[in-house]
Amino acid sequence: MVVRRESWSIYREALPILGIALLGGLFAGVVLEGMVEQVRRFPGLLVMVPVFLATRGNVYGALGGRIASGLHQGLIEPHFRWDERLVNAVVASFVNGIGISIVIGVITWLALAILGWDSAHLFEFVGIMLIAGTLTSVVLILGLLSIIFAGYKLGYDPDNLVGPIVTTLGDIFGMVFLLFAVTVMGVLAG
Amino acid sequence: MIPAQTGDLGTWEARSIVRTMFPLLVVLSIIVLAAGITLESAEAMIEQYGILAVMVPTMVDMGGNLGAIMSSRLSSRLHLGTVSFDPRDPILLGNIIAVLALAASVFTALAFGAYAIGAVLGIGLALSTLLVISLVSGMSVAVVAIVCSIVTTYLSYRAGIDPDDTTIPIVTNVVDVFGMVIFIGVSWLVLF
Repeated sequence: MVVRRESWSIYREALPILGIALLGGLFAGVVLEGMVEQVRRFPGLLVMVPVFLATRGNVYGALGGRIASGLHQGLIEPHFRWDERLVNAVVASFVNGIGISIVIGVITWLALAILGWDSAHLFEFVGIMLIAGTLTSVVLILGLLSIIFAGYKLGYDPDNLVGPIVTTLGDIFGMVFLLFAVTVMGVLAG
Repeated sequence: MIPAQTGDLGTWEARSIVRTMFPLLVVLSIIVLAAGITLESAEAMIEQYGILAVMVPTMVDMGGNLGAIMSSRLSSRLHLGTVSFDPRDPILLGNIIAVLALAASVFTALAFGAYAIGAVLGIGLALSTLLVISLVSGMSVAVVAIVCSIVTTYLSYRAGIDPDDTTIPIVTNVVDVFGMVIFIGVSWLVLF
């Protein structure tokens, strides 16, 4: 019964992780539901939401994977200290995370222009993405490293922690900061 | 014994990480833009049925999560040299069954979660409607995730590319787009 044993072991291993991701996703959904009203103020806002959320996973999933491999190989230590590898990996994630946020604002605006759909101004999209992207970067990098380090010291395999941490933190903080950025931009842009 | 050189960070240098990753991030964002456009086009339906917005982040992420589980297992076996693409292979079959079972559990839980939240916020739909929307779109996405993972792992195996580097992020993001398109399509069919 190789099939049953194999599938049961994958199921048992992955279900708690997906359960945590589901809770994060539902919380993010409640925030998104509250944001739908703001779409009238910033037409086209909804285009950015899935792109912004997916990108959080891509940037910080890569950082987490790198840190996990580094810990396994003994290249970095599980502490916050001035280590050249750790600093470089963190700086690269900031650059990637904030840089891609600006790109998302621009391509969203371009896509709406090409489709001829109603759209907010380019500076409004970029401003929202810049605020949300920067705040999410800070919280996700600090949160991800703290949890991986703490988990590693407690004996958990960091490879198994990265996915669920990134999805859950990314969904929750990504949406909260997106809502915050939309509110700030609504005040700034009048 | 070679002394450690401070300047020799190799692949850990920030500039090198950004240079290799940023172009991929731009490609992935353009792919997922399709999901955003789908969501925007359904704005009227989402304003009418707010509970759909509550389900959106999970629908977008979960397909990618299932694809990631499938792909990373296939690619680990590829590295170990034990991969087989024969549909009768018991390990491959075990993976497929596990992903389908995970999808059935998670998307059932999503319907119940959305039902409870809808009841609290006063934007609810009937539990049976939510179960139909969540399970029909969720199981379809799971099938897409399975097919995409097997095909891309096979193609990168044939092309000699390490699937960990590029194909897994591409699979998870492509599956995210399918998640959104299928969810909006199924919701529309059920509600209108």
